[in-house]
Amino acid sequence: MLNVSPRRREYETLPSLNNPAIPARAPLPQGETDDTKRIVERFGDAVIAAGLHNDQQMVYIRPDQLVDLANFLKTEEKLAYEALVDVSSVDCSKLPAGETIDARFHTVYQLRSYTRKRHLTVVCPADGGSQPVVPSLAPVFEGAVWPEREVYDLMGVGFSGHPDLRRILMPENWPNHPLRKDMPLGGEPVPFTLTWEDPEFETLGKQVLPAESVAPVLPPGMNRERMIVNMGPHHPSTHGVLRLVVELDGEDVIHVDPDLGYLHSGFEKTGENKRYKDFVYYTDRMDYLSAMNNNLGYVLAVEKLLGVEIPERAQVIRVIMSELQRIASHLFWLSTHVLDISGTGMSLLMYATRERERILDLFEMVAGARLTISYIRIGGVWKDLPPAFLSHLQDLVDLLPGKFDEYETMLTAGPLWQERLEGIGRLSREEAINMGLTGPMLRGSGVDWDLRRDMPYSGYENYDFDVPVSTDGDCYGRYIIRMEEMRQSVRILKQAMANLPDGLYRTDNRKVSLPPRAELDVSMEALIHHFKLMTEGLQVPPGMAYHGIEASKGELGFYVYSDGSAVPYRLHVRGPSFNNLYAISKMCRGHMLSDIVANIGSIDIVLGEVDR
Amino acid sequence: MDWINLLLLPVLRSVALIVVLLTGFAYLTWYERKLLARFQVRIGPNRAGPYGLLQPIADAVKAVFKEEIVPNMADKAVYMLAPALALIPALIIWAVIPVAKGVPAIADVNIGFLWILAIAGIESYGIILAGWSSNNNYSLLGALRSSAQMISYELPLGVFLVSILMLAGGFSLVSLVETPRAWWEWIWLWLMFPLFFICILAETNRSPFDLPETENELVAGFQTEYGGIKFALFFMAEYINMITTSAIMATLFFGGYRLPFGLLGDVIWLGPFVLAAKVIILLFLFIWVRASVGRPRYDQLMQFNWKFLLPVALGYMIITTLLTVFLK
Repeated sequence: MLNVSPRRREYETLPSLNNPAIPARAPLPQGETDDTKRIVERFGDAVIAAGLHNDQQMVYIRPDQLVDLANFLKTEEKLAYEALVDVSSVDCSKLPAGETIDARFHTVYQLRSYTRKRHLTVVCPADGGSQPVVPSLAPVFEGAVWPEREVYDLMGVGFSGHPDLRRILMPENWPNHPLRKDMPLGGEPVPFTLTWEDPEFETLGKQVLPAESVAPVLPPGMNRERMIVNMGPHHPSTHGVLRLVVELDGEDVIHVDPDLGYLHSGFEKTGENKRYKDFVYYTDRMDYLSAMNNNLGYVLAVEKLLGVEIPERAQVIRVIMSELQRIASHLFWLSTHVLDISGTGMSLLMYATRERERILDLFEMVAGARLTISYIRIGGVWKDLPPAFLSHLQDLVDLLPGKFDEYETMLTAGPLWQERLEGIGRLSREEAINMGLTGPMLRGSGVDWDLRRDMPYSGYENYDFDVPVSTDGDCYGRYIIRMEEMRQSVRILKQAMANLPDGLYRTDNRKVSLPPRAELDVSMEALIHHFKLMTEGLQVPPGMAYHGIEASKGELGFYVYSDGSAVPYRLHVRGPSFNNLYAISKMCRGHMLSDIVANIGSIDIVLGEVDR
Repeated sequence: MDWINLLLLPVLRSVALIVVLLTGFAYLTWYERKLLARFQVRIGPNRAGPYGLLQPIADAVKAVFKEEIVPNMADKAVYMLAPALALIPALIIWAVIPVAKGVPAIADVNIGFLWILAIAGIESYGIILAGWSSNNNYSLLGALRSSAQMISYELPLGVFLVSILMLAGGFSLVSLVETPRAWWEWIWLWLMFPLFFICILAETNRSPFDLPETENELVAGFQTEYGGIKFALFFMAEYINMITTSAIMATLFFGGYRLPFGLLGDVIWLGPFVLAAKVIILLFLFIWVRASVGRPRYDQLMQFNWKFLLPVALGYMIITTLLTVFLK
């Protein structure tokens, strides 16, 4: 029996007053930079287009040259794009045919040079029509393994030469690829693993009754001769519904295989059916521990496409919120990390949570909500700061450094904590870069990189702060980094409070943000803008943009492809937890069972973001 | 009237002891939850009765009325037996502990020390059998950890006990408490108390040595497959063990039922209350440690035992021997 949800919605563009220019393809990149010039020189005709698009370096490359290009970008010293940050894809079947490209699927790669502080987008139109195949970049960048599995799973793009091309988020037997444009939102049949008619039900159903138990299917590379332990999806310290299949030899870990997707909620598909301004509320639910950062990341990507100027005051408010959220998220990380390693009795769990409550109180003050805040909106923020906010923030800023010292006297000073973390989950600098890790994971392995400092957004270039880096590459190094990051965030908060300018808290560009209520009574134009924004939503010019921010867990990137309408044509989220979690297998191998828990805590995952 | 002395009195004493211990267990859970809550800036149980004092009763009712679930693949007989095997040693170890002047809990046998060592030795059986019979990987790992840990920590514990024995000069706990000690003996004993306490923490599977049931790695360790009253029995065993070991420590190190400097030494009925007060203070230590110390890893735990505790215990024993020979 198939379970069909009652409402079936085909893909549609929202009413755009019969604008024939919608939908439109993203224009090809124009002009050239030093890097694209080098690429064109080397690859010649294989480059379909190269140049700048929305101030972003972009190269369209034919699939047969993709791996060569990746190798060239990685090894050529003058380019040095060492890391693959993200892989996504676009199904162009509902877009008008392009002039030069007619492939249905595009895969989109975001490459990063940490030494040269450059970002490059590579677009590869896939061969093969509806059964596309693209060469895999996993042999070049190890960080491509999971993102390519995700693209294969959700979009159905095959990757030739991929070491382990399985589904990653959807169930193994799912019949379709949900992000394709011919898949409607809702109404698709849901194939449950077991139905009443299924003959298998008889045998499997008997597992709860007295009968032989049926051994589950093992992930590739695992040996049933040893003890196999399923950690999760319901396990106290997998931070949600993560399932780890662990092969054990006594207490020693031989192999770990993560199984994701238990919390997959199709945020990307939902986003492609929501107007731009309506998706802000969904971003809160992804990494629910740092909602403000998610808001900010999404909003910045859309604003990049819109090309809208954000007032100074809004920028500073955003920085304040983003840093508060970073502290809150790190505090929660600290309390759960301590819980995982030291047990429920350890009091630090509650101490860190107590300080986090203070931050949530501040959020409640500005937005009315504590966890899913949706305070940062396209064009600025929702409302201005309430008058009492700054004095409360001042109290908090005065309080926090002392509290951090207190935590450190309980942990850093004690020998047990250090012994549990030192040397565990060690990742070398090369491994961390190659696996596409970001945030504290990357800095913990000795890469001096912070998007706030190296690719500043929201005015972060105006703040004076240090980026902590540890060369140890182990859990202890990452712990020290996060503790120091909280202190640096307090520093940024102090500067932001001192420099908070007066002025607008959201842009007065009426194509983007609503006019104030008072204006509606006196201005016809304001009324029209209000009506258009409320009914149609804001229309974003055709194009694509990737914007990454330094969220508390790493680089949170949003890739948005606009077809000119008020609904994103393609919305892809690069969740830092997802990419960082890839490292768990390597980190755990050769350590003990207890260290798996330390490693999960050290990666700092939120399953809402991993599974999206 | 021999049968009264031989049968009736011991039975009555046992019943009284068990009732006191079970009530003590119930209120120890309340005590721990309240204290932990205070350490963690919380309030703790406060709904059932004044200050949550009826909470243990509510918990007991809940545990008793839970559905009995036995896993299919479990070894049923052993699975059912294990909780009892865990609880019984915790109770019978009390037999030799003196509770008031000249009054042992059950019997003043001249092998009091040996009794403690012997019963401590069989305490791990309940846990090992529970872990093995549940047919669950987590349980098995927990049981393995537990057996290794308890056997290892019994060695330094035994060596420390032997040192105390040499100082006391006899196996009876009753005479140990009643024989006056020289001042240097007290100091020498108290020097060893922290290490002895560490051994006791490991022996009772208490945090930070609660590796057999680490909820963050092994879900619930050896008791993963136990629910309802069977789980409560394990819980009881652990907490009664805490009370028992506190009483043993009070007896060995802090003069048991006696007040310092022989104050009010003639008031026999005061004995149990003094002992109880000392036990409560020592239990506070257990909980304090739980609230503030992190957990070591399994291999670190073993290393600490074999590379530090055991050599120190042996050294302590040798020095004690010399002290006893030359000063007593």
